Amino acid sequence: MIVRELVLAIGVSLKTSGLAALIASLLAVPAALFLAGRDFRGKRALLLINQTWMAAPTVVIGLLFYFLLSRIGPLGRFGLLYTQAAMTIGQVFLILPLITGFSYTALRQVDRRARLTALALGASRRQASWVVLREAKFALLVAVLAGFARAVSEVGIAMMLGGNIRNATRNITTAIALETAKGEFTNGVILGGILLVITLGINILVQVGLRSRD
Amino acid sequence: MSKVAYSLRDVRYTYPDPPSGFALEIDSLRIGPGESLGLVGPNGAGKTTLLMILAFLVKPALGRLEFFDEDPWADEARTLLARRGTVLVTHHPYLFKGTVFDNIAFGLRVRSVTERDRPARVRAALALVELSGWESRSAAGLSAGQAQRVALARALALRPKVLLLDEPTADIEAALALRIEAVFREISRGTGATVVFSSHNFSQASRLADGILYLSEGKRVPFSHENCFSGTAGSDGRQSWIEPRPGTRIVFPGAFMGHVTCVINPADIELFGADDPRVAADGPNVFSGRVTRLETTEADLALVRVSGDLTFRVTLPLREVEARRISLSRPVLIKFKPEAVEIIGSEPSEKPHD
Repeated sequence: MIVRELVLAIGVSLKTSGLAALIASLLAVPAALFLAGRDFRGKRALLLINQTWMAAPTVVIGLLFYFLLSRIGPLGRFGLLYTQAAMTIGQVFLILPLITGFSYTALRQVDRRARLTALALGASRRQASWVVLREAKFALLVAVLAGFARAVSEVGIAMMLGGNIRNATRNITTAIALETAKGEFTNGVILGGILLVITLGINILVQVGLRSRD
Repeated sequence: MSKVAYSLRDVRYTYPDPPSGFALEIDSLRIGPGESLGLVGPNGAGKTTLLMILAFLVKPALGRLEFFDEDPWADEARTLLARRGTVLVTHHPYLFKGTVFDNIAFGLRVRSVTERDRPARVRAALALVELSGWESRSAAGLSAGQAQRVALARALALRPKVLLLDEPTADIEAALALRIEAVFREISRGTGATVVFSSHNFSQASRLADGILYLSEGKRVPFSHENCFSGTAGSDGRQSWIEPRPGTRIVFPGAFMGHVTCVINPADIELFGADDPRVAADGPNVFSGRVTRLETTEADLALVRVSGDLTFRVTLPLREVEARRISLSRPVLIKFKPEAVEIIGSEPSEKPHD
């Protein structure tokens, strides 16, 4: 595998999974904030569905979106199948429950007095919610990073929705699958190592960045 | 006509989740601007719940609550405005992650106090609680008492119209507690702020407050459960008595049987020197003891603790203390009428009496 292809695959991985983590976080964290701050009828059922969704195999999600995005599917007219956008959409749905679940747990663990104290000091509801998010920021960060790690390491969705097209939708995991299928085990192991190093590097960068702001 | 800080009428609140048997029910309460009110009562009396209602952090399920003649729950903007007129310091205050400065500046920031003005306000507030120079310390490393003081400073920095304090000196050492009490008095007098605080300590409430609201099991009661005694009642049909200690009898009117709990209002107890000829030492509800505590309050009242076979707390005007030459350790007699004894609980005996 030539270096250019490798760099492109890394780029695809970072771009699709990073975007998926960002979109999923924007949806999941407010949802978790809502769930953590309120008690309502049906909340337990929602949490149960979320937990079940967390365990959904990537190929099941890949298959679902393959049907939705294929030419005969309801979203076929957008022509998204075998594109990076399709990979991102699939990954968003893969990691959405994961980030929601982890964020919910993180926000529930923030002392309820944090919100109450903010309100007592004159904060608006929005400002109080922001305080709760800030108090839980490290745990939320773990949730987002876990989501990113799940997205960047999955292969089923990337393969089914991206199609493993060279220089277009091939990412690190589909490249590993290809190299292994070709019998190039060494390349596969190297690519796996690169994947781990990238994930580690991002974790370190974000943690250092947050600590330096504290 | 000057506005009333708070006006509550038939306010009721129950905790919705999980539902508990507790209900706070306040039939009527008016707190004037600049007044200081002490909430006194045992644990579970509803003091904290009432403070939460006064801080507009929980909405009463029923009844009418007005804050400076406005309905604070009319819409979200008014609720926020009302909240910004008050500050509640909870018993175990929560400090946000970050520094002491961040914590104190938080309320200033949400009130849009300019960044330039914040440091001076923070410094002044910290000086009031004797924590000058603590701005850059991490809030995470503070002891309970220090956290309480930072929380107080955080409230004082906001210069609210109403300061609500839930057991404000509970975790603070005695000497500093007195200093904090002095700060409250300064706030009350100097800024004209209304101060409402809860306390288990009747003496503290009497020292600091213009008025005291006694609460028990969520309801306003006529006075504190100071001088609370219980025992098995005996009766001769005309009047009854209990013996909290063998041979020590508290007499009250009416025929009661079974286990009886009674209270005696400290203001209804008379105090005399041990050799005062006006008191027959063997009369009903006359007890001897020594003065083991003597405090004066802002309202020219003295709080006297008399310890003998039973311990009583008595309030009487300061001039009476001087006239009757009451002093610490002095032997005294206390006396109250049977009608001064209020029965607050009565349970029938397991075996019926004939």
